[in-house]
Amino acid sequence: MIRRQISTALPIYIGVFIFQEAVVNQFHLPGGGFSLILIFSLIWAILSSPELAALGGFIAGLLMDLSQSSSGPIGQWTLLMIAACCAVSYLGSGSESLSGNPLGFTFLTTSAIFLVEIAYLTTGALLGVTVGGFTQTLITLIGITIWSLLVTPLVLPIFSRLHAFTFNTRSML
Amino acid sequence: MRRSAQGRGRLLIIILIVTALFLITLDLRGVGVLEGARQASQTILSPFQRAGTVVLSPIKNLISDITRLGRTRSQIEKLRADNAKLKAELLNRKDADAQLDQLKSVLDLAGTAGFKVINARVISQGSSQSFSQTITVDIGSNAGIKKNMTVLSKFGIAGVVKDVYSNSALISLATDPSFRIGVRIAGSQQIGILSGRGNRSANLQLIDNLTTVQVGDILLSRGSISNRPFVPGVPVGYITAVDNSPGAIAQSATVYLYTDFSALSVVAVVLGAPANNPGDVLVPLKPQPTPIPTVTIYVTPSPTPTN
Repeated sequence: MIRRQISTALPIYIGVFIFQEAVVNQFHLPGGGFSLILIFSLIWAILSSPELAALGGFIAGLLMDLSQSSSGPIGQWTLLMIAACCAVSYLGSGSESLSGNPLGFTFLTTSAIFLVEIAYLTTGALLGVTVGGFTQTLITLIGITIWSLLVTPLVLPIFSRLHAFTFNTRSML
Repeated sequence: MRRSAQGRGRLLIIILIVTALFLITLDLRGVGVLEGARQASQTILSPFQRAGTVVLSPIKNLISDITRLGRTRSQIEKLRADNAKLKAELLNRKDADAQLDQLKSVLDLAGTAGFKVINARVISQGSSQSFSQTITVDIGSNAGIKKNMTVLSKFGIAGVVKDVYSNSALISLATDPSFRIGVRIAGSQQIGILSGRGNRSANLQLIDNLTTVQVGDILLSRGSISNRPFVPGVPVGYITAVDNSPGAIAQSATVYLYTDFSALSVVAVVLGAPANNPGDVLVPLKPQPTPIPTVTIYVTPSPTPTN
């Protein structure tokens, strides 16, 4: 069951990753812009079971690690995304107030992005990744969070319907 | 039955986490297979990035114009009247002209120093999700690009080649926090190490604490052995502030980088440099102040008084 679901979802993950690298990264957005693959995989995880979310997080993290702009070792994003996707999946399935409405979704996704970026910085510091000065890092962190807050409500209906269409379920949003 | 499914789920998550940790360990130990995977992914992505650049150029120009509107409002007001009749033509040629201008300037810079360069178009800005500052260009090992080659903009140092793929290359910009370059001050020849800070201002650490630097001093690249990663004599930036803290082991300063990293569309990768160091030949000229004309009025008193 999981194997069938993940093989269906894999091309979507790859498609979003290519869109991120070929289109989103073309724009030099102020404050660091947003990561569509990050937003997508977290929304997808909230809508999925924890096991499927972990697998999705593994795929998304591995793709992010393979990105040429990733400065950390391969596996760092993979590890963080498994943890983040599992966590949001548990939270999403456990609380109707969080996952059942667009505001809850946006709040959960944006909070997860903020926390996963902090986790990236922390693990990066432990693994010897140079991330720059405090002010610039803070600006990028806040920038990514604000951009995610703006973009998530826009892409949420698309990703939610895509998830429902892929797994033949009824869209929650 | 349900407990068994839960157990399988937990086992799957554990396997995934162990795999991720395994990957980190392999990468930190420098296993070549993983670096090959990253290279392969870039080789697959570069045609998409190229297509994206072509398709999105007009939209990028529009967004760039909108974001700069506030800063250049007074200038836009002044030029609006002149631009009206040329607007249609300008829209079509704007992108090409900007690239041509950058290309001409970068070739002038390289030609003055005698550098052998190859030009490249920027096809992607690196995502800042990993807090790094990179760009991807449309040429790679097939065009003779190698790792650790100097990358120039029309103003001076833009960065260094970090990774090379068959038809594209990843450039670490001078603003990248991991970027380090040996520099010397034009004229006084004091040397120091400049490091990126994530934005256009960089940090300079001087080697000798006894000499002094001044605001406005121009920094040039010091050069490396066999000209890699850096060729000598390329303008890097100028000093905007000096930190003279008493008791500091080394003198430090803040440097404003010459290159405008937000508007990079064409760069040049230095393939070779002449045996002679170009010295200070590439130091940018200081802008000459325009003299303000003075008006002298002579008044001759009339011989008869007026009522």
